[in-house]
Amino acid sequence: MAATVPLVEARGLERHYALGRGLLRKQRLVRALDGVSFTIAGGETLAAVGESGCGKSTLARQVTMIERPTAGTLLIEGEDVARADRGTLDRLRPRVQMVFQNPYASLNPRKRVSALLEEPLVVNGGSDRAARRHAALEMMARVGLKPEHYRRYPHMFSGGQRQRIAVARALMLRPPLVVADEPVSALDVSIQAQVLNLLMELQDELGMAYLFISHNLQVVRHIADTVMVMYLGKAVEYGAKAAVFERPAHPYTRALLASTPTLDPRRRRERIVLRGELPSPLAPPQGCRFHTRCPYASERCRTEVPALRPLGPLQVACHRAEELS
Amino acid sequence: MPLLEVEDLRVEFGLPSAPLIAVDGLDLSIEAGEVVGCVGESGSGKSVAALAVMGLTDYPGRVRARRLAFTGRDLLGLSAAQHRELLAKEIAMIFQDPLASLDPCYTVAFQLAETLRIHGSEEERGSAKLRRARALELLRQVEIPDAEARLGAYPHQLSGGMAQRVMIAMAIACNPKLLIADEPTTALDVTVQAQVLALLLRLQRERAMALLLITHDLAVVAETAQRVLVMYAGQVVEAGPVPEVFDTPRHPYTQALLAALPEHDTDRSRLKAIRGVVPGADDRPSGCLLHPRCDYAVDLCRATPPALEAGGERRSRCHFPLDAAGRPTRGWQPVRRGA
Repeated sequence: MAATVPLVEARGLERHYALGRGLLRKQRLVRALDGVSFTIAGGETLAAVGESGCGKSTLARQVTMIERPTAGTLLIEGEDVARADRGTLDRLRPRVQMVFQNPYASLNPRKRVSALLEEPLVVNGGSDRAARRHAALEMMARVGLKPEHYRRYPHMFSGGQRQRIAVARALMLRPPLVVADEPVSALDVSIQAQVLNLLMELQDELGMAYLFISHNLQVVRHIADTVMVMYLGKAVEYGAKAAVFERPAHPYTRALLASTPTLDPRRRRERIVLRGELPSPLAPPQGCRFHTRCPYASERCRTEVPALRPLGPLQVACHRAEELS
Repeated sequence: MPLLEVEDLRVEFGLPSAPLIAVDGLDLSIEAGEVVGCVGESGSGKSVAALAVMGLTDYPGRVRARRLAFTGRDLLGLSAAQHRELLAKEIAMIFQDPLASLDPCYTVAFQLAETLRIHGSEEERGSAKLRRARALELLRQVEIPDAEARLGAYPHQLSGGMAQRVMIAMAIACNPKLLIADEPTTALDVTVQAQVLALLLRLQRERAMALLLITHDLAVVAETAQRVLVMYAGQVVEAGPVPEVFDTPRHPYTQALLAALPEHDTDRSRLKAIRGVVPGADDRPSGCLLHPRCDYAVDLCRATPPALEAGGERRSRCHFPLDAAGRPTRGWQPVRRGA
């Protein structure tokens, strides 16, 4: 693969779900992902941030190739998975692995750690039992598990240790990309720090990229290189972490930052308490999807959908970004 | 006189011969109109303590205390029914998952009116029309848009934020003197969390109601409370006024918890994680409960459990409380490793 091809490149990615297909009910469409573009370079961490219904988990389902996008292109290692045949997908799927939010649900309680870790190797074939055992023990050491944990069941571990097992399983195939969907939000504060440290250490050692999905801006601020802020299926702001956090250009990003409680009084910004709640993704507002809650919405915002466009170091989808910055 | 007085509260589960101690010697006093935060990780006993104060401890649990009183009236020795009778109007509680707290089979109006029918004033108990009017007024007070239309809504038709507002409306229906909020915003999105916290604080101010805010989120407490209790494994390890406890923590656990938050540094540096895990109710260590995870632990910590300092605004449960520079005091000597 040429060095110029990014690991993941999405252009105008869309995923729609049909709902309520019934005898008497009209079919309705949820545009869970509605034209999202981004790239992830090898070894880099892209964080997708947003509240519920913003499409961040749908994004994970496209990038992990669990579903096919409805429209747009999604290139993984240069191949378009939206139109790929089965053989191509089979080849690409081991290249992207996933860590889920809740390690109490993502690990099969009937399987030992040994089976959990070796299953990806078994499914993808090619190694004998001794080699698998060796690979599993080596990965356990990397994520901070002891060799005696090899024969244990998930219920014998704490939440933090279970998440270590989940991370180890995701890395067994040495994927260049790991999709982590809220990997620390089910964990206690003191354990959250352990798992974030582990994710960063493993990235430094093994050099994989992360698509890190989170609603927690403090965590994203710590771990990400690039940040994409999403709202109701669209990216509203996209750029390098420092730029997004230091000089956010989109009113939604600013409101998110201002809404996040912080210990540091100097970082406490003027409270922008947004009006209302997230509109239903079934009936997103016309024009800019954020206009119903935006303190700066104008007539144009109510009718015309803003495109994501460059503004300084960032890309922003807001008609009034210049005036506001 | 404090509104709520709790001294040496102890909640146990399991066999009396080998009890699992969920709350171990909790002291808490809340003044009228005060906002007190209670922070701790899972298993620290913060919710169990609140339920014990409410008289809601489930059957195998045993509650003991030296003193448990509300507005000077002793709650110890009351039957569950008497306890409820006494507290029903004066203490209200809301929980983390509002959709689990609301009854899915009844409308918002019915559930609000039910509270008033049982605990409301004499006129409210007598008139369904008045109850409905009060329900509408309560929904407006918690800033539910289009409140009239929401009266007939069932819980599944509400978003998480709306449902929590309905819970708050039910909680304030009888003008309680104390509202206990157990992780009220944990299940909500960030922007909605900010709205609900602002609402709780507005109601607290307007009604001069005391608020006990139970949460795992230190930042939420830092922004809202006047005093804080930090709990670890069933014990209060530190208590004091809010800016001070967070600025100069005296207990190593508070210090470590603050340092573990990702908000301090932003450049992919390693976080100061606390090693190990919170001990469960059945594997508590000897001596100080934190010692296996504490950076400063010495032999004394392993052998003898420290007591919570008596009296005073700021109290901590440590043999070597930290000074303003964050270093242990009282002649603490580092253990030479490998010696």
